[in-house]
Amino acid sequence: MRKRLVSMLLAGCMVVSLCGCGKTAAGDTATDTTSTDSGTEEAATEEAAAVPGEVFGDTVQYDPNVPINNGEDIKIDFWEWGSDELFQQIVDGYTAIHPNVQIELVNNPWEDYWTKLPLALDGKDGPAIFNIHNSYHQNIVNYCAPYDIPTEDLEKDFNGVAAHVIDGNVYYIDYGIMTGSVYYNKDMWEAAGLTDADIPKTWDDMIAVAKKLTIKDGDNIVQAGWSFNDNVNSNYLMGVNYQLGQNLFDTDNKTCVVDNDATKKVFQMLIDAYDKEGVGSKDFGTSATDSFGQGQAAMAIAWGWFNNTLQSDYPDINYGVFEIPTFDGDPYAYNRYNGESTFGINKNADEKQQAVAQDIVKYFLANDELQVKFNLAMNTFPAKTSLADNEEILSNKAMAAIADHIDKYIWPGPVPATVEDSLKIAAENVFYNDMSIDEALKTAQDTINNDLKSKNFEAVESLYKYAK
Amino acid sequence: MKKKIQSIVLNIILISIGIVTMIPFLWMVASSFKANKEITALYQTFLPKAFTLQNYVSMNSHFNFMRFFANSLFITITLTVIVVYSSTICGFVLGKYRFRGRELLFGLILSTMMIPWCVTIIPKYTMIKAFGWLNSYKALIIPGLFSGFGIFMMKQHMETIPDEILEAARIDGANEFYIFHKIVLPMSKNGIASIAIFQFLWTWEDYLWPYLAISDRNKQLLSVGLRMFSGQYATDFGAMFAATAISIIPVLLTYLIFQKQFIAGIAASAVKG
Repeated sequence: MRKRLVSMLLAGCMVVSLCGCGKTAAGDTATDTTSTDSGTEEAATEEAAAVPGEVFGDTVQYDPNVPINNGEDIKIDFWEWGSDELFQQIVDGYTAIHPNVQIELVNNPWEDYWTKLPLALDGKDGPAIFNIHNSYHQNIVNYCAPYDIPTEDLEKDFNGVAAHVIDGNVYYIDYGIMTGSVYYNKDMWEAAGLTDADIPKTWDDMIAVAKKLTIKDGDNIVQAGWSFNDNVNSNYLMGVNYQLGQNLFDTDNKTCVVDNDATKKVFQMLIDAYDKEGVGSKDFGTSATDSFGQGQAAMAIAWGWFNNTLQSDYPDINYGVFEIPTFDGDPYAYNRYNGESTFGINKNADEKQQAVAQDIVKYFLANDELQVKFNLAMNTFPAKTSLADNEEILSNKAMAAIADHIDKYIWPGPVPATVEDSLKIAAENVFYNDMSIDEALKTAQDTINNDLKSKNFEAVESLYKYAK
Repeated sequence: MKKKIQSIVLNIILISIGIVTMIPFLWMVASSFKANKEITALYQTFLPKAFTLQNYVSMNSHFNFMRFFANSLFITITLTVIVVYSSTICGFVLGKYRFRGRELLFGLILSTMMIPWCVTIIPKYTMIKAFGWLNSYKALIIPGLFSGFGIFMMKQHMETIPDEILEAARIDGANEFYIFHKIVLPMSKNGIASIAIFQFLWTWEDYLWPYLAISDRNKQLLSVGLRMFSGQYATDFGAMFAATAISIIPVLLTYLIFQKQFIAGIAASAVKG
């Protein structure tokens, strides 16, 4: 009897929950990803997507008056991960111009997308167009068709195109770039008697400010002025070295050279910040970004994505963002960046579908409104040069922080994961296992170069605008 | 007195293990009523400080929960029914018939259980793609028609049914079809319940194969939908916990309904003869 009661209760819960879901789902039609020619759905998209009548774009231009696929009906799949709503804006805008095109948007979980995508692309039934991340470059690029847009046109409109040219072809570029900046807690800042004039420009300033922000109860830290736990590798050892003119890779673009004086200097600065200056502790919080979000650290370096995380997970934190400090105010490059990529086109797809995919890419690249929306959503700085002083872009804290020196950030290329992983181990060995900096970096370098032997990676640091 | 103390100690140990097992589950359910900022807060409380139903309301922002739930229910029930039947009939043949190559056949079936699934998933994908079954439920159902584990379990179970009963039925003129459906099946309730629960659970939570085989969002399963909460840079823990809390209800219901037979079935299959 009791069992039956529990079963009925659970079944009741399920029905009530599902009814609740149903109600929400009904309001979900606006995000239905299939754009069809049915009357009701057209009505839904009509409101959102205005049809441009004029050619738009800078050098890469899009003419909405040119029919696609001779105006005949065609359906393509568009695979992506992340936000359906974001990609839906491309679909709505494009299909409003070309109602003969039906785009099936397929959302994927980030992690396993990279297992499924190569399998799907290895045949004719894969998606005609798909979202790319450069960290999976090697697995995907062989399935991509080159863009049907002259490289020189892309270079006129977008930064960093040269790094994506392979044998004269471009398979994807960056629509936005993301890098590390310093996030600081404004309430803690004010409580420490600091003002905007105290925003540090150099690492010495940073340590001085961090000391003022650190609160201790005896020997115990209550509030860290600056935390870098769990991201020494990605935010410092793979970025701050550039400030001293030290690349991650040798001039052959293949050999990793993290065992060098500049990286050792960065490493030592971090150790001293904790051990000598006492601005934080390796044992105070497992992750700098978590500690910052939880109000335990006053400053942390994080990439643009953290801006979204703070807004969604830590809405009570009153924070600001400033550019990463330098050693002398005149760095070779401020930091490393990585790009959010434009879309790939499936070279195995039907020719007509490929033509539509090429057209969508051109529509996306020429469309400033979409460029701004995608960059704001991803917290990336637009690669499109004409948007560098866009008001909406500059109203974003993470982007405003890097806007002044955006051309002084460097992309090393789609660096294989072994670099970040091996340097993470190096950082853990130094901070927690009493290994010397020299030994940790040498071990990391040996591991990385051994792993790179099986990779077809080539660094593009030499393509940096101010490369020596 | 000694027996009583032993019983108390045993119960304390079992209760402790039960609590340790249950706490993560209960924490997940409790957290489904918390905002993300509370879930990721430094100082955790078991019960929500600020109770919210928002996670349940916003589940659909990631995918059409109800659709995915219904799809999962359909595939899971279909596969469970098929596997229960195919395992029972195969178990009956292997357990009650003597024929040449029987042991070899059984060995081959057992060997399918020894091969890690990750080794077979790419060839399986290639085959299904060649058959043109991708994006169709055929890709999910047909490769799962037979279960090596199910056949093994049911063979063990069949061996507990006395041959004399079957002989008596044959003498009374019953054919093999009648014997299986009218005598063996009703006598296999416990074994069937065990297989049903295992199969239901496995199919319900199977993620990678449905994800690889299905791309159409109208056909996608709940296990795939649950992964949508984990993004490139962040995870919507609250919505994920809410969706997971609801998604486990069918599994709990199945277990509660078949609990008694499940335990009896597992016990019977563990003892041959």
